Amino acid sequence: MADYNKPIPDPDPYTTGPFWEGAKQGKLMLPRCTVCNRVHFYPRTICPHCHSDSLEWIEASGEGYLHTFAVQHRAFGGWADEVPFVTAYIDLKEGDRMFTVLRGVDASKPETIKIGSKVKVEFEKATDEVHIPFWRVVS
Amino acid sequence: MPSNPSMSAAIVGAAEADRIGYLETPKTATMMHVEAIRNVCKQTGIKVSQIEAVFSAGVSPQIAEYLGIHPKFFDTTSVGGCSFEMHVHHALAAINSGICDVALVTHGEIGWSARATKGRGTGRASGGDPWVPDALWSNPYGVTGAPSNYSHSMTRHMHQWGSREEDFAQIAITTRDWATLNPRAIMQSKDTNPAGGPLTMADYKASRYISWPLHLLDCCLVTDHGGAVLVASADVARSLGTKPVWIAGAGENTSHSNMLEMEDFTATSAKASGEAAYKMAGMGPGDMEMAMIYDSFTITAAITAEMLGLTPRGEGPSLWANGAAGPGGKFPVNTNGGGLSFNHSGMYGMQLLVEAYRQLSHTAEDGVNGLPGKQTNAKSCVVNGTGGSLSNTGTLVLVSD
Repeated sequence: MADYNKPIPDPDPYTTGPFWEGAKQGKLMLPRCTVCNRVHFYPRTICPHCHSDSLEWIEASGEGYLHTFAVQHRAFGGWADEVPFVTAYIDLKEGDRMFTVLRGVDASKPETIKIGSKVKVEFEKATDEVHIPFWRVVS
Repeated sequence: MPSNPSMSAAIVGAAEADRIGYLETPKTATMMHVEAIRNVCKQTGIKVSQIEAVFSAGVSPQIAEYLGIHPKFFDTTSVGGCSFEMHVHHALAAINSGICDVALVTHGEIGWSARATKGRGTGRASGGDPWVPDALWSNPYGVTGAPSNYSHSMTRHMHQWGSREEDFAQIAITTRDWATLNPRAIMQSKDTNPAGGPLTMADYKASRYISWPLHLLDCCLVTDHGGAVLVASADVARSLGTKPVWIAGAGENTSHSNMLEMEDFTATSAKASGEAAYKMAGMGPGDMEMAMIYDSFTITAAITAEMLGLTPRGEGPSLWANGAAGPGGKFPVNTNGGGLSFNHSGMYGMQLLVEAYRQLSHTAEDGVNGLPGKQTNAKSCVVNGTGGSLSNTGTLVLVSD
């Protein structure tokens, strides 16, 4: 396997540790507020909806919907070899959003990519410690 | 008791660095600041030593030190291109409260020269924090700066409101028409740049995609710029030889920092900052006779037109349709040629202020800053800066006597 040649997150262990632990096991872990029950992303130490600091991590379904996207024709580093590629914002089934490089689509035909499409998460191992989430169109 | 600061201060002068655009010999950002400051002082008759307050995007103590002055009020708000509209807002508040009478808002940025200097001379701190949200949740996915982010907003606008790329093209074409009347615009003519002069729909469609659906011609330039404006109390403003352009209203707001938190990809905080500015002014969008709208990308300008109440929701590009926002049109917008075709150094909010001052003070057609046909008859102008990833906005309502 070729070395992962794209930017690798340098996880902050204080607020995002469980996310990366879950990712290593193929699980999408999301923070949820125990007071208002709402999920948020990115992970914080305060709920951005009700401002409680009583938060827990849940294992999410790993499912979502395509909110919007773009086709990148210019990129640097390891991503430069991949142009054109599709980046996208995903509406998580549990609420809030994540950003990704979208898989399972044809970047040369953006008109065939449909907002609202169902997507599923998958993880790619970048290092032993960091597995990066990507989303794939499944319908 | 708090008082409404509307009209308690005016922009009394606005100037640029000696040369702007694609400088043949690189300069530093500080050099660009200082040239513009010297020019605005010369224009107004205010001496550098009379400046009591300094506002800049991040470097106010450094600029004060360089000038050898000791301002009693300063502010380094640096939240992208709208910073300078916010500086005027803050200067208005400081002047209205009696803290100072003469405030400098200054900008120097070398988006172009930085290529030759290999990033030196920009005045910016280098390096990034790997634990901030952008670094953890966005940058691993190959996005590289503003165009690669803003394109997601344009896709969503087309999906949600049925806008087409031809609608956005009209913004680029009309804005270029203004640039042909500005001798300092990069894209004024084929003489100023091989790609300059009037644009056609065919030119737009033939331009390559940078980040679909953004064509190259949806994107702003990357240039050098220095600009400075002086804001003064009403009494000082009336004592000078320059025409005052009054600050009738000001507002600012933010909706998010990282685009992950942009709830509606087709809306910005310009709705809130615009409403605050209109309310302070006691005016509304129908009272505006022209607009200076941040156009980092055509989508930025389109959404802002909607947010400021200049068009119905979802119909932002219609403001430019059939040249209505162009030279001789019924509602002039971005009369300097915009960030798209005049000059965009990275943070374009100063360029908006300088042109708004020139239009309302009737100095927009002096042969250097404008050719015949550039000066409008507007006596009111809404100015809106946008910074970050469609994140932050500063709105001003400016009026002339």
